[in-house]
Amino acid sequence: MTKVRHYGLQNPTSFGVKGKRRYAMVVDLTRCTGCMECSLACKAEFDTPLGVMRTWVKVIERGQFPNVQRRFIPRFCNHCDNPPCVRACPVQATFKHEDGYVLQRYNRCIGCRTCMIACPYNARHLLPADRSNPHDPTRVADKCTFCVHRVERGLAPACVAACTANALIFGDINDPDSEVAKLVGLFPTDTIKKDLGTRPQVYYIGLEDMDNVESYHHRSAQMKKEFNTFKRNYPNSHFMHGDMLEEEQED
Amino acid sequence: MEQEIVWNAFHNVYWGTQISVYFWIVGASAGSFVISSLGWVFGIKKYKPVSLFASNASIGLLMIVPIVLIADLGQPWRFFHLINWGFWHYSSPMAWGAFLILSYPVSMMVYSWFIYRKNETLARIIGLISVLLAVSTHWYTGIVMELNPNRELNHTAMAPLIFLTGAFISGIGFLIILLVIRNHFLEPAKRIGKDFILGLGKMMGFGVLFDAWLIYCESVQMLYGNEEEYTTLTEVLFGVFQGPYLWMEILCSLALPLILIFSRLGKNVWAIVAAAILVDIGVFGMRIWWVKAGQFLQTFY
Repeated sequence: MTKVRHYGLQNPTSFGVKGKRRYAMVVDLTRCTGCMECSLACKAEFDTPLGVMRTWVKVIERGQFPNVQRRFIPRFCNHCDNPPCVRACPVQATFKHEDGYVLQRYNRCIGCRTCMIACPYNARHLLPADRSNPHDPTRVADKCTFCVHRVERGLAPACVAACTANALIFGDINDPDSEVAKLVGLFPTDTIKKDLGTRPQVYYIGLEDMDNVESYHHRSAQMKKEFNTFKRNYPNSHFMHGDMLEEEQED
Repeated sequence: MEQEIVWNAFHNVYWGTQISVYFWIVGASAGSFVISSLGWVFGIKKYKPVSLFASNASIGLLMIVPIVLIADLGQPWRFFHLINWGFWHYSSPMAWGAFLILSYPVSMMVYSWFIYRKNETLARIIGLISVLLAVSTHWYTGIVMELNPNRELNHTAMAPLIFLTGAFISGIGFLIILLVIRNHFLEPAKRIGKDFILGLGKMMGFGVLFDAWLIYCESVQMLYGNEEEYTTLTEVLFGVFQGPYLWMEILCSLALPLILIFSRLGKNVWAIVAAAILVDIGVFGMRIWWVKAGQFLQTFY
């Protein structure tokens, strides 16, 4: 096994270390039906505000009629073993937990967004200033926590518990008897952007060519329209490419 | 195979115009300070008359930085977390940058004070430290974005050099504009001579040439690069970032100033002032496309 880079991390990786836990997730794309229940459960669990998402499902249509297929790719924070976001945070507001989680300290975060620049997976977002619950954190970085509060109480993460097709499997990958370890061992799995050396711990079964540029080139007209609606709802966001999208829509 | 992204979550360009403004200010300040140091630190006598003014101009510019940076934070009142030793994170370039941004203006103020008191030895020592801090402060702004392997455009070892060259030329440009304005308020005997301004213009011209070469190298790398780099290049040439890249950077800060400085017009002070204004606008354009185009493609990921 190649050596993992530990510098800048609060805890070294527990992946493969005997006597330690390393939580990971397996996403079986062959089972996913695209019901978006995982996104909903996450929204409900954390009262995630409009416009930002901890968990979402990317929907792709491929092929030409009649040989077409629709693919769904649930996306989360990958809780990397070599997380660039943790390394980039200037105040250690985001940190590496000994059980493998990448977590966020809301009261320490200054909202500089360096972690979001560093994250290759767009898994982070800035919480808006207006929250429905005034006690919820505002204007700080937020991300998926693998539902650490549930897992520590012996429950599955909200998205896993809600998945209707049993496509999301969560567990301790260090435990050879866990379902996660068995799946990763038995099936050909892949991770997103593994060439970056981040060592993601969300494994996909049935993942093919998840090139980030493809998203840019192949956006549907509906998605562009939704994007413009999103922009109108967030006038203060740093977008400067509004005109292009408007023009593209007319094509 | 034909494919279409039907739905995806939307993401923002996280660092926007305010960060570009900050990069420009720090750069112009560092460039202006390098000119200040030529007289008292490196012993070139003809620059001594402008040393104090250039140093004070750098300090004045840097005074805007905290306002821009702190206002850009999600939690502005927590800016002191950056200087809390208990929170300090050695692997984050920004953690180092916070100390550079704090120490650099203090060092320049001490340097200005020794110039004012005409203390050659101490001005040289403090000036040398300030030059190192000035270069480091701007070097780190390049590194902040460079150390993200996922941002293909920014992830190049040339980034700090491109930033620093831009800083140098924008700093000289800024100083030329200030010196010409200052001349209007001074008695004729105390005014900065035409030759000096033209000399600064020539220096800026060579800086622009070097910058053009760096931008050429970077663009060629993008042309032969991976899909993300190539798409970014097409965006900056023909797409959304055409304004900041093609018109501001290539035309304003590279092509037009080179014509103005190295043609017959280069002997006219006002042509040099025009070139200085164009360079400052163009370098600001470079900060914008560099910061935003680096993040742009992944907003759709």
